[in-house]
Amino acid sequence: MAQKLKETILNPILKGNPITVLVLGICSALAVTVQLKGALVMALSVIAVTGLSSLVCSLLRNTIPNRVRIIVQLVVVAMMVILVDQILKAGEGTYAIDKQLSVYIGLIITNCIVMGRIEAFALGNKPIPSLLDGIANGLGYGLILVVVAFFRELLGSGTLFGFRVLPEAYVPNNLVILPPFALILLGCIIWVHRAIDKDLQEN
Amino acid sequence: MEYISLFVKSIFVDNMIFAYFLGMCSYLAVSKNVKTANGLGLAVIFVLLCTLPLNWLLNTYVLQPGALQWLGPQFAEVDLSFLSFIVFIAVIAAFVQLVEMIVEKFLPSLYSSLGIYLPLIAVNCAILGGSLFMQQRDFTGIGEPLVYALGSGIGWYLAIVALAAIREKMSYCNVPKPLKGIGITFITVGLMGMAFMIFMGIQL
Amino acid sequence: MNTNNNVYTVIYTSIVVVIVAAVLAFVASKLGPAQDANAKAETLRQMMSAAGIKPTEELYAAKNAEILQLYADNIEEAYTIGLDGEKNGELSISQDKIELVSKLKPQHKAILAEGDATLPVYIFKGGIAVIPIYGAGLWGPVWGYIAFCPDCYTIAGAFFDHESETPGLGAKIKDEAWFREKFIGKTVEWGETPAFRLEKNVEATGATNAVDAITGATMTSKGLNEALNIWFKAYEKHFGLGAFFNMLEGLSEAETVNDNEEE
Repeated sequence: MAQKLKETILNPILKGNPITVLVLGICSALAVTVQLKGALVMALSVIAVTGLSSLVCSLLRNTIPNRVRIIVQLVVVAMMVILVDQILKAGEGTYAIDKQLSVYIGLIITNCIVMGRIEAFALGNKPIPSLLDGIANGLGYGLILVVVAFFRELLGSGTLFGFRVLPEAYVPNNLVILPPFALILLGCIIWVHRAIDKDLQEN
Repeated sequence: MEYISLFVKSIFVDNMIFAYFLGMCSYLAVSKNVKTANGLGLAVIFVLLCTLPLNWLLNTYVLQPGALQWLGPQFAEVDLSFLSFIVFIAVIAAFVQLVEMIVEKFLPSLYSSLGIYLPLIAVNCAILGGSLFMQQRDFTGIGEPLVYALGSGIGWYLAIVALAAIREKMSYCNVPKPLKGIGITFITVGLMGMAFMIFMGIQL
Repeated sequence: MNTNNNVYTVIYTSIVVVIVAAVLAFVASKLGPAQDANAKAETLRQMMSAAGIKPTEELYAAKNAEILQLYADNIEEAYTIGLDGEKNGELSISQDKIELVSKLKPQHKAILAEGDATLPVYIFKGGIAVIPIYGAGLWGPVWGYIAFCPDCYTIAGAFFDHESETPGLGAKIKDEAWFREKFIGKTVEWGETPAFRLEKNVEATGATNAVDAITGATMTSKGLNEALNIWFKAYEKHFGLGAFFNMLEGLSEAETVNDNEEE
C-alpha cells in the first residue's frame, strides 16, 4: 500500500511526466513560460485544480451517470478554475499576474492533464490517492514549466524572476521570447529525457 | 472589406496553433497521417462554427456586465461574466456530443478512426480559446463572430494537415532514437511556427 | 441505484448545476469588493505614475490602502466632460468614496461613434491634469494616462499598459521607463491633425509633438499612436480652450510688462 502510494506520487514527476511523456497540457506550457513568475503561478494553479478536481470526481465516482460523465467532469473542473481565478483576482499581490495570465487560466479547464487524470485515475480510485495523483501530475507539469521558463527568461531577457542576472552587455535574444522556441526547447528536453531513460524511446 | 480582412487574419495571423498554441494535444496526437488529420480538422471547423457565434449571443445578451438590460432596467447592474467559462464549455460539450452522434450515424469509418479524439474536441483548447478571445474582442453583429470562427477553424485545419503531411514524409528519415516520435514533432512544429511569424502584423 | 436511469441523470445534473452555481455566486459576491479594490488601486497607481506623484516602483510596492490615501492627499478635483468639451459630471475625490472612470473601452466606443461620452479629467495639486487614452495594440488593447503641465499643452508624464503585447517588443511601452520618460516635455498641438506623432524617426525633425516609435514594435507603436490621437481629439475642445486662455494670459502679462518698461 505504501509502495503504491509512493509510486503514485513519484511516477508523474519523471517517468510518467504529463508533458514530456504523456504529451498533455502543452498549450499552456508554451504560452506562460516567458517569465518564471508567470510559470510558477500557472503551475500552482494547475496543481490546485488537478488535485481538487480529482478529489471531488473520485468522491462522486460511484454516483455519476455514464451518459453525462464528461459534462459533469467539465463542470467540476470549470468550477475549480473559476474559484482559482477569482481568488487570484482578489489578492493584492496576485491581481497583476492574473491580468497577464487571464486567458490561459481559463484554459486550465481544457488542460488535457486535468481531464486526462480524472478519466484515467480518479474515476477508478479512492479519494486520497486521487488527490495525491492530481497533485503529483501538477508537480510534474510544474517542473517542466519551470525548466522551460528558466531558459526562456534567462536567455530572452537576461533576468530571473525579474532580477537582472546576466551582465548588461548581454543582448537579450528575442527569438527565445517568441513561442516557437518553447516548442524547440521542449523537443530538446524530451531528447535529453529519452536519451537518459531508454525505456521511453519509440521504435 | 472588414470581413475579408478578419477572415484572412484569423487564418494566418491569429492562427490558433502557431500564434496562440491552442489545441496542441489533439494536434500532436492525431497528426500521424493525413486522413485522420483531415477528419479531425473538419470536425474542429464545424464545432467552432457552431459554438463561437452561439457563445457570442450568450455573452452579449446574458453574461456581459449590463447585458441583461433587455429584461428590464433593474438588471442593468448585473454582471454574470464570472459564469463565462462554465457557460461556454457547456455549450461546447453539448455540441460535441451532437457531432459525435451525427458522425457515428453517417460516417462510421471516420468515427472509428478518430476514436477517443472526437469527444476530446470538447476539451480542445482551441475551441474554448476561440470563445474566450471572442469575448475580449468585442465583435459587433453576428457576422464577425461567424467569420472569425470559420477563419480560426480553417487555420487549425491547415496547420494539422500540413503537420500530418510532414510527419508522413518524416517516417522515411533517419531520426535519432531519442528524438523519434514526439521529440522531432515538437521541433518541427516550432520551425513551422517560426515560418508563420512572417504573417505577423499584416495590414489588409 | 441504477445510475444510468434517465430520471436519475436529469435530477443529478440539476443538483450539480445548482450547487456549482450557488458556490460560485457566493464566492463571487464575497470576493467582489476585494477585486474591485484591486482594480481601482491599479488605475490610481497608473494615473499617479503619469502625474509623477511618486516613482513608479514605489507606487507598485505600496499597498492598496496607501494608494487610496496618496490619491486623496494629492487630488484637487475630478470631473467628466462630454465630446463638446463641456463639463457633464463630477467625480467624488473623498478617500472613502473615490470615483473613477475606469472602464475605458465603452468611452472609446462612444468617441468613435461620436455619441455621448463621459471622459474624465483628474486635476492633481500643482495644476497637473491627467487624462486616459485607450486603443487597439497588436494583440489586444493598449491604454495609459497622460499628465499635462498647468499650461495644458506640455506633457508632464505618461504611463502605458497593455493586455497582451509581445514581451520584449510591444510590452516595452509598459516595461521600459525610458519610453515613458521620452514624453516628458513634449507638447500636444490641440486642434492639429495629428495632434501628436509616435512614429519612426520623427524626433530628428525637431518637432516638439513627436516621440520615436519603438524599434521592432511597429504595430504596437502604431496602435498607441492612434489611441493617443483619437483621445487627444476627443479632449481638444476642453484643453484647447485651456491652453488658449493660458497663452492669452501669458501674452497679456508680457504686454503689461512691456508697457511698464516703456513708461
